[in-house]
Amino acid sequence: MSREAGHERPGLDRLQRWMQEVVVHPGSIEEAIASPAAEEEIPADSLENVVRPSHSMTAAERVGVYHGMYLMRMEEALETDYPVIRYHIGDHQFSHLVRAYVERYPSTSYTLNRLGDHLPQFFIDEPEWPQAPFLHDLARLELAMTEVFDERETPVLGAEDLESVAPESWEHARLQPIAALRVLDFKYSVVPHLTSFHDDRPTPSPRRRASWVAVYRRDYSVLRLELSRAEHDLLRDLVGGAPLGDALAAAAAAQKSARQQQKIFQWFRTWISEGLFSEIEI
Amino acid sequence: MTENRWGFPDLGLGIGLRTTHYPHILSEEPDIGFFEILTENYLDTGGRPLHILDRIAERYRIVMHGVSMSIGSTDPINFEYLAKVKELGERTGALWISDHICWTGVLGRNTHDLLPLPYTEESLRHSVERIKVVQDFLERPLVLENPSTYLEFADDDMTEWDFVGRLAEESDCGLLFDVNNVYVSAFNHGFDPVAYIDAIPGDRVCQYHLAGHTNKGTHIIDTHSDHVLDPVWELYGHTLRTVGLRATLLEWDADIPPFEIVHQEVLKADDWRREEVADVA
Repeated sequence: MSREAGHERPGLDRLQRWMQEVVVHPGSIEEAIASPAAEEEIPADSLENVVRPSHSMTAAERVGVYHGMYLMRMEEALETDYPVIRYHIGDHQFSHLVRAYVERYPSTSYTLNRLGDHLPQFFIDEPEWPQAPFLHDLARLELAMTEVFDERETPVLGAEDLESVAPESWEHARLQPIAALRVLDFKYSVVPHLTSFHDDRPTPSPRRRASWVAVYRRDYSVLRLELSRAEHDLLRDLVGGAPLGDALAAAAAAQKSARQQQKIFQWFRTWISEGLFSEIEI
Repeated sequence: MTENRWGFPDLGLGIGLRTTHYPHILSEEPDIGFFEILTENYLDTGGRPLHILDRIAERYRIVMHGVSMSIGSTDPINFEYLAKVKELGERTGALWISDHICWTGVLGRNTHDLLPLPYTEESLRHSVERIKVVQDFLERPLVLENPSTYLEFADDDMTEWDFVGRLAEESDCGLLFDVNNVYVSAFNHGFDPVAYIDAIPGDRVCQYHLAGHTNKGTHIIDTHSDHVLDPVWELYGHTLRTVGLRATLLEWDADIPPFEIVHQEVLKADDWRREEVADVA
């Protein structure tokens, strides 16, 4: 036994606070043990009073096993949710990002599935991060895809449901979206990065160009629909609960010609056939 | 050899349910005694994973295995989490719900690691009280797994097997006995794994785990990334002789091979089971 005589045994709560501070510290194990947060619980020079060395490892090396696995685990979780960002910025920069991100937004959930929820916000918090505005948009797209993947299943409104609505009820009717739908607007063109990733091609340089996408789930597959600004605005209004009459009138007013106005009905048919709505409230 | 005190059935041989094997399981319907699901993977999803789990639960017997109960933590018990665990147990008809003898975080944080508890009287009392609360809430016995650990605390009052045995007896919980973890911890801490097995209260053991590990030279990491090694099979044989036949599950979580390879690996346990039963007969 290497414990010093007269050493005060730390309580369970203090021991756990200390170990957590050491495990989640972003630096080396030596830096972690000597960090102010860890030292507040247990002084670094008392380490062997707390952790026993083994036949082959020092006390610091033994705690270091847990310390070394922490960031690896965080990185594994985040690369599952953000494969396109990782592909775009490369492994080295992604590791750097994970380290900074989990320091600011450590997991507070019982599931790692929620670890990446704050990544879009992280790029707002850290505007100096390379390509931060673009990565903010790309993170929003990838986060929407994971949210849609996990959303609860809701019924899908069919064409026959719509046909049963009396013509005089249409104006004030409201469409309820399925739970697994996100309607997104971006300052950057982000979809090409998604397709480059899937095709295993180099990602293009970020291009500042407004883009609009609906991400949704059908038959348990996550799908996306690229939208024009006008399509996005109408779909956003409908999803937001606008009465059909108001939403369609606003959309029609934004179209210059009768031919363009006809497109509205085409959009509408596409959204119904893709199963974006769950029910119609009369 | 003992019987299980709750009468949990010996489900034979099982495999940890993993996403990569979904298509094979659904199309081939392999002959498997049971599947063990990772609890947290199905708590907050209403999509494909839960849909597939429902289909598999219609065909196979399910047990649940969690990693976030943090039974030894000094943070408050998360009842929102427990409510979801309980609901999933009812949905899948899980025969039992297991987690680990460990803690995963404090101060509202989760490291998502199975961190070691000190084997002290204080730590034992603390965990026993929490297990009782959890069991009352779940309205069923909790089954807890002996962890693989990479350090020992200098203030430990007792051996790991004394701690595990007393924890089970004093809280009246079940044990999921991970044979590979015993081997890993025995190597890392220099104790005799057979002494550990001989000391375990067999009537509280509900299930066994087997897995592969990675030897780093100075220590072994419980990676679940390979075939079960011979010394672990030997310990499994000893456990069968000492404790008896129990549902036996193979965990393979990294570098996961095709389903058939995982299946073949767990079928090796059948030879050991037959041999031990024949010896007893």
